[in-house]
Amino acid sequence: MSYLEDDLKMALQRTEPSADFVNRVLARVNQPPPREPSWWERLTVLLRPPRLQWVAASVILSIMIPVAGVQYRKQQRMRVEGERAKEQLMFAVRVAGNRLHRVQQKVLEMGRMETRL
Amino acid sequence: MKILRILTICILTGALGHGQVIDLKHLDRLAAKATETADVTLDGSLLKLGAKFLSADDPDQARVRKLVAGLKGIYVRTFTFENEGEYSEADVTSIRKQLQSPGWSRIVGVRSKKDSENAEVYIKTGGPDGGLAIICANPKELTVVSIVGKIDLDELSELGGNLGVPKIDLEKPKTSNVEKPKPSSKKEDD
Repeated sequence: MSYLEDDLKMALQRTEPSADFVNRVLARVNQPPPREPSWWERLTVLLRPPRLQWVAASVILSIMIPVAGVQYRKQQRMRVEGERAKEQLMFAVRVAGNRLHRVQQKVLEMGRMETRL
Repeated sequence: MKILRILTICILTGALGHGQVIDLKHLDRLAAKATETADVTLDGSLLKLGAKFLSADDPDQARVRKLVAGLKGIYVRTFTFENEGEYSEADVTSIRKQLQSPGWSRIVGVRSKKDSENAEVYIKTGGPDGGLAIICANPKELTVVSIVGKIDLDELSELGGNLGVPKIDLEKPKTSNVEKPKPSSKKEDD
């Protein structure tokens, strides 16, 4: 007979339960069912490490991403408005300078004519 | 009663504040008749925003930035018409009337019969803010420029020569009612 058969026999041989086994099983059966945890108790589970770090990171990200998106769109809008305002400003200064130049040129012409006379 | 008094003060302050700006609204109706129109309204915040976007590397833009630093508003209306007589003298007169208010003085007035062009330059002195108004009117074109705030005429004139228009050397009128400044000896072609 091999050692393996001996081992199997040893492992599968019938053993009697302890004396208080029946009492322990009955006691467990008669126990009331465990209480359902309330919503805040379930929430507190999330606040226990290591879950807390993941929860905090996801909360921060869920706030940061929309805020960054809004900020980016605001910046884009500001840039477009700024570029438009810049073009208008350059145009306005060009027109003002040009007209002033024209007026001054006319004054010069008149001055020259007067000097000739 | 107290609230009424505060409201009256607020309205008066607002009216005084707006008194700086020349009302050009009546010119809006000319846009329908004009073949070309340019309408620029840059008030405080928009002017600051535009100035912020001017590049410091570009010499022209840097000069414009410096020039407009003390300004509170720039308003330009330009109308080009196909035919003569599309706008009336009353349109120009109403602007002139506004420029007769205290503080404003006409520094240049030119009437050219040769090309039927009238041009006037007004400046506002005294008070916290200065101002400049230019009216250029010929039979087929009307331009009104109104600038609120202190502006360096020499700098603007130089920019006028710099931004696409050749520079000419001119003397700035020293007194408020000078019609014709001394002719300069320097001469440059357009």
